[in-house]
Amino acid sequence: MTALIVAVEVPADPSGLLPPVTSDTAPFWNGLAQGELRLQGCDACNKARWPVSPVCPHCGAPGGTFRTLSGRGTVFSWVRYHRSYLPEFDPLLPYVSATVLLSEGPRLPARLRDLNGDPTIGQPVELAVEHWPGGRHVATFRPAEAP
Amino acid sequence: MRAATAIIGAGTTEVGRYPDRTVTDLASEAVTRALADAGIARREVDGLVVHIGAPRGLDYDEAAALLGLDVRFASQTWSHGRFAATVVHHAAMAVASGMADVVLCLGAYRNSNLGQIGGRNSWGYEETLRPGGGPHSEAPFAGFNGPVAAAAMAAQRYFHVHGGDREKLAAVPLAFRAHAARNPAARHRKPITEAEYGASPFIVEPLRLLDCSAVVDGAVALLVTRADRARSAPAPVWLLGMQGLSAGPRQFIFGQPGLGIGQAADAAWDWPGGDQPAYRMAGIGPDAVDLVQVYDAFSPLALFSLERLGHCRPGEALDFVQGGRIGPAGALPVNTSGGMLSEGHLNGWSQMMEMVRQLRGAAGERQVPGARIAQWGTSLGDQLILGAEGTA
Repeated sequence: MTALIVAVEVPADPSGLLPPVTSDTAPFWNGLAQGELRLQGCDACNKARWPVSPVCPHCGAPGGTFRTLSGRGTVFSWVRYHRSYLPEFDPLLPYVSATVLLSEGPRLPARLRDLNGDPTIGQPVELAVEHWPGGRHVATFRPAEAP
Repeated sequence: MRAATAIIGAGTTEVGRYPDRTVTDLASEAVTRALADAGIARREVDGLVVHIGAPRGLDYDEAAALLGLDVRFASQTWSHGRFAATVVHHAAMAVASGMADVVLCLGAYRNSNLGQIGGRNSWGYEETLRPGGGPHSEAPFAGFNGPVAAAAMAAQRYFHVHGGDREKLAAVPLAFRAHAARNPAARHRKPITEAEYGASPFIVEPLRLLDCSAVVDGAVALLVTRADRARSAPAPVWLLGMQGLSAGPRQFIFGQPGLGIGQAADAAWDWPGGDQPAYRMAGIGPDAVDLVQVYDAFSPLALFSLERLGHCRPGEALDFVQGGRIGPAGALPVNTSGGMLSEGHLNGWSQMMEMVRQLRGAAGERQVPGARIAQWGTSLGDQLILGAEGTA
């Protein structure tokens, strides 16, 4: 699935929020720039995984091939920031950060956007890529219709 | 390894906030007291294991050089509180293997000048940008930062999975505060009520200010040696059982396997109850434990730790801690000096000191009557089981 890409103004200076793009993680970050969620899948057991790693956490097979996932999942858990821990996000306070359980299995940390009230655990969400000032693309999720 | 080694000396500063004292000065006070407590000379120490180094603590090489320790075994763990018991494990392994005769374990910290723990400008922020996530699964690009958020994420899931009234979590900070009221050195001693807990502001929802520990400064030194030598020490505390901390794709710093973020998708937890290496080594079960110390940087960690230690089943801890069971005079007193929530967060070391005091019958007003077995544990599964004189 190709997700909605939303240009945002917050965080205004995200330079301190983003891990460097490495030879390991470039497919993940480059995928987001195309509106796609690309994670490694195991060549042996076929399970998708996060974070990017040289060995499958499920079966121990080395290697893995990036593939494009559905971008769909559910809220596994969530928290709401009432205090500033990252001043870059202060304009969004109080904001919600979540663990998203992707349909393909992995759990991904992401902010939830376009919420109407509290999220609920198990609520369907879908990928919404934010295009940040400075040019990087970041995965967030927003409420979705149940599949 | 049961009773193959023992703690023969313990020394501490008072926990507190010491803006005018250096970490070297704090460490020196604790070490000098530990040596006096054991009745041994400084030159007899031939091993050193340091928990956290600069800038919070004192690195092993500086500690050895500045404190006059001439050692043939030295090591140091990563700069996170999780390794408190691991430091003691290393010391016990070193003396049991003959690599050293007397190992000094040192936890010395200036924590109160770190600013907002987990904040953008605090020490260690760069660790959160590791490609696999931060030491507490931080992910700044997801707005997710600060150890408190990791505990909050696990707690939210825990409440969802197991149900229960989340305001009942108040029992944890209330119990530890009740212990702290009996500890003159504790940072927070004024009793708190359930109403005050409920009115406490959210920091990272669902956790409130009263769910969060208060960092303090101070130092603790423990001296570990072999059994044959410990028998002639004035007041040995025996290392009866040990268990290392767990790591891997199913482990999460602040929760059970299955609760946190950054884990393999099929994370599930096969609750071991009392069938754990530390209990087997000690030759006891959970019922034999007289008091427990847990890593309570945030109050939900007490629930997770009690389940992981086998004192109650998964999902039962919220009920287990009600009714004063973990408070003073409870059936299983936990964090008897007030814990990180009330005595103050000294990265686990004030709790190590408290176990020694309790097992020597020297805990004053908060003494657990007849305490023979004390246990340390965290939500990552590491354990220490300590025994009073006569348990070896």
